[in-house]
Amino acid sequence: MAYRVRPAVVGCAIRPAITERTRSLEEIIYDISQAALADAGLTIEDIDGIVVGCNDQFDGRAISVMMASGPTGGVDRDILSTPSSSEHAFILGALRVASGQFRTQLVVSWSPTEVSSMSEAQRLGADPYFHRALPLDELSSHALQASALSHVWPNAWIFAETVAAKNRRHAALAWPEPPARPRPGPARWPLTERLTTQPVTGAVAMVLAGEPFVRERAFENPAWLRGMGWATEAAFLGDRDLTTAPALKEAARQAYAEAGIADPTTAFDVVEITDATGYSELIAYDALGLASRAEIAPRMADGWFARGGRLPVNLSGGVIAFNPVFCTGMIRIAEIANQVRGRAGPHQSPGVRLGLAQAGSGFAMQYQSAIVLGADA
Amino acid sequence: MELLGRQEVWNITYDHALGETASYFFTQIRDNGKIFGRRCAKSNKVLVPPRAFSDETLLPTTEWVEVGPGGRVEAFTFVYEQFNNLPPPPYAFGYVLLDGADTALGGYFKGVDLTNPREAAEALAIGTRVVTKFAEQRKGDVLDFWFEVA
Amino acid sequence: MTDRVGIIGIGQSNFRSRRDDASYPDLVREAVVPAMLDAKLDFDAIDAVVYSLSPDAMVGIGNAERLGVDAVGGRNKRFLRINTGGATGVSSVTAAYYHIASGVCDVVLTAGADKVGECGDSQTVLNKIWDPTYERALPLGTINMLAMSAVRYMKRYGMTEEDMAYVTVKNRRQAALNPRAHLRKVVTIDDVMDSRIISWPIKLMDCCPQSTGGAAMVLASEQFIRDNKLDAVWITGVACRAETYWMGDRMGNNPTAEHADAYALGRSFAQSYRMAGITDPANQVHVAELYAPFSNTEYHAIDAAGLVAKPGDSIKRLRDGEFELGGRVPVNPSGGTLCTNAIAVTAMARVAETALQVWGRAGTHQVDGARVGIASGNGGDHQIFGTMVIEA
Repeated sequence: MAYRVRPAVVGCAIRPAITERTRSLEEIIYDISQAALADAGLTIEDIDGIVVGCNDQFDGRAISVMMASGPTGGVDRDILSTPSSSEHAFILGALRVASGQFRTQLVVSWSPTEVSSMSEAQRLGADPYFHRALPLDELSSHALQASALSHVWPNAWIFAETVAAKNRRHAALAWPEPPARPRPGPARWPLTERLTTQPVTGAVAMVLAGEPFVRERAFENPAWLRGMGWATEAAFLGDRDLTTAPALKEAARQAYAEAGIADPTTAFDVVEITDATGYSELIAYDALGLASRAEIAPRMADGWFARGGRLPVNLSGGVIAFNPVFCTGMIRIAEIANQVRGRAGPHQSPGVRLGLAQAGSGFAMQYQSAIVLGADA
Repeated sequence: MELLGRQEVWNITYDHALGETASYFFTQIRDNGKIFGRRCAKSNKVLVPPRAFSDETLLPTTEWVEVGPGGRVEAFTFVYEQFNNLPPPPYAFGYVLLDGADTALGGYFKGVDLTNPREAAEALAIGTRVVTKFAEQRKGDVLDFWFEVA
Repeated sequence: MTDRVGIIGIGQSNFRSRRDDASYPDLVREAVVPAMLDAKLDFDAIDAVVYSLSPDAMVGIGNAERLGVDAVGGRNKRFLRINTGGATGVSSVTAAYYHIASGVCDVVLTAGADKVGECGDSQTVLNKIWDPTYERALPLGTINMLAMSAVRYMKRYGMTEEDMAYVTVKNRRQAALNPRAHLRKVVTIDDVMDSRIISWPIKLMDCCPQSTGGAAMVLASEQFIRDNKLDAVWITGVACRAETYWMGDRMGNNPTAEHADAYALGRSFAQSYRMAGITDPANQVHVAELYAPFSNTEYHAIDAAGLVAKPGDSIKRLRDGEFELGGRVPVNPSGGTLCTNAIAVTAMARVAETALQVWGRAGTHQVDGARVGIASGNGGDHQIFGTMVIEA
């Protein structure tokens, strides 16, 4: 299924850790939206529509798109909201551009830390019928997934810790002056503090444009959308085999089919994975076809996924570096877009022609998305 | 068959950063009993309550402008129904265009006899002059002030 | 022409106050099954799901769409959720439309449900839509927000409380013919005028109910519809517009959007009409399902839809019978949001009802000969508006 009009990313702004409390949430959203427009060299008049990805419970508002409409430039403009995840905002924005009915879309996501307990807010996501009484927040769900994987692969913890260490090394290079010092998250068996990072406030915005607009305005180095896939796992954790990610396999299948990718281990120059924990990254290697469980040990030993390796993953430092919970998914996509555009800064990989971003959200990565961006249309 | 139910309560606390603009607005109310708006240079509108940027022009606002204490009624309603966690009725509230402002500010109307809403509606008809009153002890929030017919 | 997007299946609950016999996912399923049967498809044929859900707090489950995954047959499928407050239902159909118009999907299911009647108090939840910085401490809710719109509409156009009652009487009479509607009891002007005041001038019978139930629709590409020889109606116009979140900015000096009116709704309709090639809506539109949860708001919705020459004309013309079944352009022949309001899907019901009308399948509340219909949804503090034009 071909896009009517091929979309491209022409602007990005990423603020993965905002620690000052001088700006209100509206003002943070205004700042990131303006920054993305500036990066694209566009003004709001060039924007035909907006999609925001934000979570009511994190924001403390019953309909979070409402107050976002002003700062994103949504007044007298078309604005929609996908509270399911930040990456869904990117996806819907891309679909709108692909329809040919919009020249451009601005997609924005943010994740504040104003709620007294993120765990409490997340626990409200457990259904009241069977699971609400359990301490089921996102960290617990990742711990359950880690525990399930450890059961079938007793050495998984070694590789999860290696992945986390790799990503922290990448973070040190990517952020020579880090906006915030990442603080270890709580331990929750079998997750050690080395495997998680405390939530921080963050925001991200991207500008998408369709091919005719890209040509008309002569953008240099847009990141073309070559393939996009997304899917969801079942609702109840108990219905899932937590050692695998079938929804990610399906999302990758869709994206690879659109992009014409036969062998993901040779097609991509760079990859970003939502490493909610090191275990999440291991599961993603398998589902994305980058390394099956048996292949992970030898490939990691060969340094495949580290900087300078055959298939560098998370040169940005990933989520272990900064954890603005709700927007980690869109940040992975923005990081790959920047790699393709040559705008990734200190962690730019040379000569990137094709990149893959995997975004996962929800309890044990219930929502999975795979986005392929490339230098060629 | 027996149908069961379950009670759940949502109780989450937030600590929202107000930012410099709103903080200035509230400290002026708390410390000086004054209300300020922010002007957008491009539209020349004085926005009340003040914001760091105009959502119309998307430009940062540029200067503080003191507004009120007099103003005119722009909208009102009288609530006669009790809603959970909202004040006991009856009460009147609405929006007032303070002198010097271009947009209206929300607040309670006090001192209006609400026994007969149609009469009260005449007393607070759109355009009626009102004045802002401030509480003796102020905390720096919107309940520090209210409006009364001038 | 083979690039239109059509509606091939529709399902709706019979909306009620409470459904103690059904969990939230059950309600979703109860609308999805008839929609799929109507479309004559298996779940295998669905390429993507767009989930319609407004404030999580109404349902009492954070990101409740995750629970609805199985109800919509969503495992391992493309899935995302939309929330634009009360407009969520029309925004979801809009998002589904773009899944197809992009060229990526052929068949998309959009569905959702609400249990507003189960939430302790919807106005308490809806108070939380205002920003904590300036307005949360005020007792704002959707009822009093629209009461203030009524006060301004009265001043600008001379609307009276009795004019408001006319809308309720009309819509209840129409809801009585619709088995899916929640409030179906016919009422008189006196009944409405005597009902207790909630937030002046809005009285109890000027208000929508808190409804429980689900809705679902299946959309498909024209190519798929032709290849499979399916029956369909067509989405020929679609748009969305927001106005300023700040109600006080819709008053005062030279506001762009006036709180009495529905500025962004007018802008959204203008865009939908442009797409659909409608230049004279007052004469080209046969039926309208316009989101209006309070009686007074139906007037500015009719104005914004361009069904009258200028704003405020809707008052007299409604009294003259132009907007009821049998009239020139029946508005809300289903009874509308005023008689049924399951927030997460109430705007989808507007699209569904419009589609049924131009399809000739609306049953006892059918508008004879309707071939061009319009639907609208409002969300937030009367802020985000979605519109559609649907044709046979």
